[in-house]
Amino acid sequence: MSAASQEFLRKAIIKSSDLEHRALIQKGMLSYDAAHAKGKSRFADWEGARARCSAVKAEGIANLGKYLIEFEQKIIERGGHVHWAENAEQANDYVVDLARTRNVKTVVKSKSMVTEEIHLAGALEKIGVTVWETDLGEFIVQLRNEPPYHIVTPAMHLSRRQIADLFREKLGEDVADADPGRLVAAARVALRRAFFSAEMGISGANFLVADTGMVALSTNEGNGRLTTSIPRIHVVVAGIEKVIPRMSDLAVLWPVLATSGTGQPITTYSTLIRGASIAGEPDGPREVHIVLVDNGRTELLADAETEEVLKCIRCGACLNICPIFRQVGGHTYGSIYPGPIGSIFTPRTDSLSEWGHLSYACSLCTACKGVCPVKIDLPKQLLLTRRDFIATGNVKPAQRVGFAGFRWATASAPRFRLVGWMGRKALALVNALGLSGTALDPMRVWTKYRSPMTLPKQSFRAWWKENGSKNGNK
Amino acid sequence: METNKTAESKKTGARERILTRIAKANARPRPSPPPLVPLEAIFPPITNPRQRFLDECAGNLTEVFQTANSAGSIEALKIILSTVPPGEIYVQNDSKAELTLHLLRDAIRQLRPLRFSSEGPPAEATQASLTLAHGFVAQTGSIFTSSSCGGRGASIVPPCHIVYGRGDQIVPDIAAALARVPSETPGASYVGLITGSSRTADIEKILVQGAHGPRRLVVILES
Amino acid sequence: MSSPQTSRKVALFVPCFVDQVLPQVAIDTVTVLRRIGCEVIFPEDQTCCGQPGFNTGHWESALPCAEHFVRVFSNYETIVCPSGSCASMVRKHYPELLEHSPLREQAIAVGQRVFELAEFLVRVAGVTDVGASFPHAVAYHPSCHSTRELGIYDEPMQLLRAVRDIDLRPLPNAGECCGFGGMFSTKFGMISSAMGDTKAVNLEQSGAEYVTAIDPSCLMHLDGVFGATGRKLKTIYLAGILASSSGNGSAAKESR
Repeated sequence: MSAASQEFLRKAIIKSSDLEHRALIQKGMLSYDAAHAKGKSRFADWEGARARCSAVKAEGIANLGKYLIEFEQKIIERGGHVHWAENAEQANDYVVDLARTRNVKTVVKSKSMVTEEIHLAGALEKIGVTVWETDLGEFIVQLRNEPPYHIVTPAMHLSRRQIADLFREKLGEDVADADPGRLVAAARVALRRAFFSAEMGISGANFLVADTGMVALSTNEGNGRLTTSIPRIHVVVAGIEKVIPRMSDLAVLWPVLATSGTGQPITTYSTLIRGASIAGEPDGPREVHIVLVDNGRTELLADAETEEVLKCIRCGACLNICPIFRQVGGHTYGSIYPGPIGSIFTPRTDSLSEWGHLSYACSLCTACKGVCPVKIDLPKQLLLTRRDFIATGNVKPAQRVGFAGFRWATASAPRFRLVGWMGRKALALVNALGLSGTALDPMRVWTKYRSPMTLPKQSFRAWWKENGSKNGNK
Repeated sequence: METNKTAESKKTGARERILTRIAKANARPRPSPPPLVPLEAIFPPITNPRQRFLDECAGNLTEVFQTANSAGSIEALKIILSTVPPGEIYVQNDSKAELTLHLLRDAIRQLRPLRFSSEGPPAEATQASLTLAHGFVAQTGSIFTSSSCGGRGASIVPPCHIVYGRGDQIVPDIAAALARVPSETPGASYVGLITGSSRTADIEKILVQGAHGPRRLVVILES
Repeated sequence: MSSPQTSRKVALFVPCFVDQVLPQVAIDTVTVLRRIGCEVIFPEDQTCCGQPGFNTGHWESALPCAEHFVRVFSNYETIVCPSGSCASMVRKHYPELLEHSPLREQAIAVGQRVFELAEFLVRVAGVTDVGASFPHAVAYHPSCHSTRELGIYDEPMQLLRAVRDIDLRPLPNAGECCGFGGMFSTKFGMISSAMGDTKAVNLEQSGAEYVTAIDPSCLMHLDGVFGATGRKLKTIYLAGILASSSGNGSAAKESR
């Protein structure tokens, strides 16, 4: 059992019995469900929209090299810089080096999951740069020194009261009655100071557009706009899988992303960046750098079976629908990407041995498959991750014996009858000795959380032998 | 002139290694994909773009003042400014604005201190901006804008953004707006669709207007 | 009673855990099938469909089991299973599990002939009224595999609506998983039981006395959760309701 797996179990036990947490998350998710349903109803053909988005992303992935080169060329033609990073270290080194040579003291950052994945903020802080998360949810969890809880709403696990207390403590701002409007206003004031003093703005990218060489960035708050308008240097960090063939593809990707993420028709600020500001423009960054990050993505690409995982547009819909996420929440997973997508992405790009357990934290209810706007077959990917996890030898001896037994017992009826009979007799003995629920109970993994099953007097096949051929009506 | 840092990753070979791994995967035979589901099938037709634009704005809290002529637009601007706290107004002024925005600009010259986009970016204390737009998108009630409309900050720094445009600038949908990007915004370093005021639901999923961007987005739609 | 429709031969595919732990599920299924005039055959060589091995990534351990299943059931025209997830394993997942097996084509063919019970009754036999009577408040829990994998949404409700004296209660958040998930129930028991608890709260809100489903594994799990949390709710597999009668023993009416 990996350390990450033990940590997951420890946190899951705590969260599963935290009824306050459960109620808060259920409330948030029900609100999302309603908004999402309303958003989908704006489409004449939602399934058609999913099919088109899936096809567009698949086209991008199938021709990833071609489109990345096209994108790079256009950016460079306009004086932009493109840096290719195989891993987190190479990506961080580039940005840190840039900050150092450009005398950057303050950075403002708009939301970017990949920058969390590579721990960019930490790398910058090490050289004395102050990094401000500007997305309100990210700002809040940054003040609390914790990772984001959810990829779209990072602070959904906190009540307004908790946020008010946090602002009082960390910002010296006392917001009367924890009013959300006033809390947002307090954050706006604090972050305005950062926006206007930062030398560098770092953003992610929702899409990298190949045919026009543009970076597409969507935010509701406008922090992405300020991050990319005021500081003199703009750095974009993006996973290589973000590239799409054409700007016209955004006509369906933008509405679908917004619908799946929050139920909106389109995100408030849907931005396309061509590069640094040009002559005649009153403002904007003087230089733009794009950092293209691999960090395990080519692992997913290398296998025809797993390539579809790269279609993900990070909308969060699968997290929202997942009944396990709704119980344990985003901090239990221990990985930057939680929920169904994270339980595939992290084991596949990071380490199967260390993170493969996440693919088992799933009841295979398959609800995620129905909501993914790019039609990734998430349940199938979870099953394949489990298969490969076992194939790489991550099996406890007891489990190995158990499944060898399963293989033997299910291959023929006489064996099956024997093993079934032995099992029931053993359980009956355990119950008779009053050992049910104790450490000696072989069914303890079941009875720890449920009342014990009553054992039948005989199996169905034994009943059939006695009564089955009698053709009577009950 | 900054040195081109792209050369750096070419030196270390990271770019080549990544592209080689990608090329190997992309070389795998794949079935030819079916034709894309057409946009006309995905989105309901927009029979009355102007009405749709107005309805969407009502939904996303964009204020719209419909006017018949420039006199009406000047009147509307004065009404809007009467609800904007005292302070500087940032106005787009370039060759395009000279043709279309000058009447409005001149009408408010005496009412407010003005700062012009030709002078530089808007100040933190700017109370409102006045710009043109490239179009209005009916499908989502969005403003189609770019850095050629007074720069980047004009539409995001001040707490109130006022857009002046004409009814014939309304386009039906996002696809139509994107199709006009090459012709409308030939070199602009920033292009965008802005839909309503800045907002967030990050606190208990309660929608709050006016996060980092403008709390108010106002459109003066002439004829 | 001797028309070809009513003396249909049906082979019973009994899930391993039903055979060993919940035999009443299969006994009630036999009762219902016979009541609508089917001749029920129980191929005694069957063992399991292999789902526990497949779902946990131990595909090697599940393969001989699946091949055995295919051999046992290849000779039967119509196979009925009182469990959506097991029927789904055969129909939806055998092609993948047996991808490199010589029995792959046969497996796909068998999969087309396996039906979950409610699916069989309504879509194949054309029956919705099996002459049942069950004077209790009942909520239907739409199990995940049955709905999302097999597309069985309304058939169980059609059967339940025809039950005399039944008081059907809508279930809030019905589509949310009960938390069983096979080995998930023991690997992550704490999450599994929390999900069961959430389902139980919704059931109590519905005012139902019983919860029913077409997946007995969901019911087995919920039963344990009710017991552990001291709830008065009871579980009953769909065929248990359908097999009940007020004693009038009315014959099944064919609706097609």
